[in-house]
Amino acid sequence: MEELGKIHQLIVPFFGHTMTFNLEVILMTWIVFIALLIFGFFAARNKRVIPGPVQVVGELFIAQLYGLTEDAMDKELGKKYGPMVCALFMFLLFSNWSGLLPFMEEPTKDLNTPLSLGLMGFFIAHYAGIRAKGFKGYIKEYFEPIFFMMPLNLIGELAKVVSISFRLFGNIMGGSIIILVVSHLTYSVLLPPFLNAFFTIFVGAIQAFVFTMLTIVYISVQVK
Amino acid sequence: MTYDIQIWVKVAAFIGGGMAMGFGAIGAAIGEGYTAARANEAIARNPELAGDLFKTMLVGQAIAETASIFALIIAMLLLFADFSHVTTLTISIFLASGLCMGLGAIGSGIGSGLPTGEACAGIVRQPGMRNRITTIMLAGSAIAQSPAIFALVTSLILLFVDFTGRPISPTWAAIIGAGFAAGLGAIGSGIGEGLVAKSGCEGIARQPLSATLTTNTMLLGMAVTETTAIYGLLIACILIFKNFPAAESIASSMALISAGLCMGIGAIGPGIGEGFTAQSAVRWIARSESSAAQLTRSMLVGQAVAESTGIYALVISLVLIFVL
Repeated sequence: MEELGKIHQLIVPFFGHTMTFNLEVILMTWIVFIALLIFGFFAARNKRVIPGPVQVVGELFIAQLYGLTEDAMDKELGKKYGPMVCALFMFLLFSNWSGLLPFMEEPTKDLNTPLSLGLMGFFIAHYAGIRAKGFKGYIKEYFEPIFFMMPLNLIGELAKVVSISFRLFGNIMGGSIIILVVSHLTYSVLLPPFLNAFFTIFVGAIQAFVFTMLTIVYISVQVK
Repeated sequence: MTYDIQIWVKVAAFIGGGMAMGFGAIGAAIGEGYTAARANEAIARNPELAGDLFKTMLVGQAIAETASIFALIIAMLLLFADFSHVTTLTISIFLASGLCMGLGAIGSGIGSGLPTGEACAGIVRQPGMRNRITTIMLAGSAIAQSPAIFALVTSLILLFVDFTGRPISPTWAAIIGAGFAAGLGAIGSGIGEGLVAKSGCEGIARQPLSATLTTNTMLLGMAVTETTAIYGLLIACILIFKNFPAAESIASSMALISAGLCMGIGAIGPGIGEGFTAQSAVRWIARSESSAAQLTRSMLVGQAVAESTGIYALVISLVLIFVL
């Protein structure tokens, strides 16, 4: 139980400030990257009309996620943002499932990972909005329906980043804490595999999908 | 008779444990009762499916019970806590932790009962879609649990974070405030998400051809409905992890409790309201797939407007924490 809330940190002085690195999170993020690269390599190696097992999984991801993106935006923009959506979903899925392996921790358990992904989605959505509507049209959106609603619209936009990242963080963190506490209370007998199946595999997949879906919707709301 | 800190901590632990399990029992029981009621209705319509429906009912009730099992975990942790190393702050930690989990289990308990009940009714209407409906039921009630999970996370963080070295005076209030924010904030979103998941099950049973679209809209609607519970979690995290400077006056302590109460109570209405919006959108998208784009758009805009009161509550509690 003592490991709850403890993080290995590397604190580096930097021109009078300090920079803090959460070592486990960085390491786990790189492990997920490498796993994704390996998966991508085997999925794309000798592509055939009758696909091999890894290629089928890869095609499934790509087809479903491109379909979702094209439904929410249009065909052209779907092609543009499709790769990012695929990368985001597969990164989140691999991250959330990495907690299944012994001695591994989900990078999404640390608020920094979801928050940076949420900020990425925020900036991409607003960049897309400015590109689609022009700077004037984009600013005008904030003064609707009446001009004094501007501060509230602004807070509403910022609250989207908070809600999208805290949703993922809260669910993954909550699942891992529940598994830890219940394993401790039951001396790891019988229950933990079921909890892992539910919280890590099931909730992890759903939350990865929800995060991706919301990012797509935020972009499409800005574009339209 | 002497009253030292240890006695008071024990008192707080017993009251907290009682409240955790007492409040925590409300929601799940209502949800499970609703599931069984819909299952009875479904069995009466088609007694040949009784075996399947009975299974679905039991699985659904088991999921709906999750929230009160969380409350049971917290109550046990509080009753069998280690009373040897305690400080004055432990009193408010135990109270807040029990209150937070108890209140937080109400919404998700009711909410996760709704889709499981509707799934029984749906299976009787469309027995061929049994597997799909069961999957949606599982996904829906799993997401409807997440407000309760946020409350559980807050309670456990309260129990296990090290508060030594913090000044007693405003910190005790911050702890109680965090309990209120996460606990009360989870009620509305839990019920709202249940409403959305319910219409997801209903929609798939009525129009199996648009199952994928209905599922996606349901997940989206639930995610947005959850937003105000997340604001509650955010305020609770700020109250727990911010280092408040020592203050003698009672006013600053009250400001922190009010911040928690403001966010918690303010999140109830938007949670249920957004749930209504998404519920109707999901139901009608299932029936008229061609108007899905307009319906999704009006759902998102409607939810954003319904959420604005929750954002007002968030602004006021941030002002109470950081300005006053």
